[in-house]
Amino acid sequence: MTENTRNRLTAIAIALQALISAKAFAAGAREPGLPQLDIATWPSQLFWLVVLFGVGYLLMAKIVTPRIGAVLEERRQTVDGDLEKARAASADATKIRADYESVLEKARIEAAEFAKQAAMEATKKAEAADAKIAQKLSNKVAKAESKLAEAKTIAMANLNEVAAEAAMAAVSSLAGIKTSSAEARKTASSIATKLAKRETN
Amino acid sequence: MSNSQGMHSPVEQFEIKPLVELSLGGYDVSFTNSSLFMLLAIGVSVIFLISAMRRADMIPGRMQGMAEMMYEFVAEMVRSNVGSEGRPYFPFIFTLFVFLLFGNMLGLIPYSYTFTSQIIVTFAMAAFVFVGVTVIALFKHGLHFFSFFVPAGAPKVLIPFLIVIEVISYFVRPVSLSVRLFANMLAGHTMLKVFAGLAVMISGAGGLAMAGSLLPFLALIGLTGLEVLVAALQAYVFTILTCMYLNDALHLH
Repeated sequence: MTENTRNRLTAIAIALQALISAKAFAAGAREPGLPQLDIATWPSQLFWLVVLFGVGYLLMAKIVTPRIGAVLEERRQTVDGDLEKARAASADATKIRADYESVLEKARIEAAEFAKQAAMEATKKAEAADAKIAQKLSNKVAKAESKLAEAKTIAMANLNEVAAEAAMAAVSSLAGIKTSSAEARKTASSIATKLAKRETN
Repeated sequence: MSNSQGMHSPVEQFEIKPLVELSLGGYDVSFTNSSLFMLLAIGVSVIFLISAMRRADMIPGRMQGMAEMMYEFVAEMVRSNVGSEGRPYFPFIFTLFVFLLFGNMLGLIPYSYTFTSQIIVTFAMAAFVFVGVTVIALFKHGLHFFSFFVPAGAPKVLIPFLIVIEVISYFVRPVSLSVRLFANMLAGHTMLKVFAGLAVMISGAGGLAMAGSLLPFLALIGLTGLEVLVAALQAYVFTILTCMYLNDALHLH
């Protein structure tokens, strides 16, 4: 695109130049021709090109490029070193985090274990206390029952005697029959036994 | 103002004018306006590059950044076109690029001289590259170098013709390399001069006609921008073609 425009402009320029040169020629001016084709100037141009390009090459090769190259190399190494440091720091941070988390996890497990144990102990204690109380209560009940049974037997024994005496008194007053107290007691107890049997039946 | 129109010839700017008359072994080696701008191209570039790198900071400033960018640009060009074997030739290619870039750019400053518009200068550089590259190839590959002219996998019947074509295209390299730069500079600077001359000529007419000089003047501004692009581009083209020729020499095909 630009090349095209440029070529067109060059054509215009050359046409204009031809016009101007024709005018200049008509005015009697010197027609110079292309100075580049004047061979007489070539030795000087070649000489100075070789000398100055040579000097330029030496300056570039000995001073300029090594200096810039060294700075770039130094920067590259610094950047690489910094990146390496950053990577190491990042790895450290990851490790520390992992450590922290493992410690935390361990503590959590320990705490859970501890809580479980404490709960178990408490349950055991409570169960033991329960058992003790139950034992005590059952002892008390047993004692009370035995006392009751004793009281009942005593009462029953007394009842036999009372019954025998009452029966003896009733027999003597009703029938005028005197019975020994021993006989009366024996009869009474046998009746009581019979009654107890019937009761149980 | 060499004639009645007040108009210089557009090619007068390319004239070589001796500044210091010198002669060596019967040859005229005067220090000329062309030599002066070669000296300036080398001097300005070396001073710029050295002073930019004087502090050599880890974090570059503007000047140092530019110097490093230039270095990296050429280094990358050599790396991608020639490979690691091109390293020993890097200083030469860097000098070539900087010399041409500064030569072309300095030449765009009004009243300066563009030594790259001289066919003898561009041809000498192209010929040096051509001969150097051929010598490197012969040193590295010996007679095997001549296989470069035989395209691989071509039908046997065509090989003689192809060798002729390849040899011609090889020997045309210095011509095309030098003429490309020379012609671009010649055409560009001639064009600038013609439009500048036109603007001056029209404005010389006076009165309303003076407004007409605005047109070539605006064209001149646009063309100057284009020539800056061409100056950088042609320095790049010359350098990258040198890299490619060097690559051919080092690796054949």
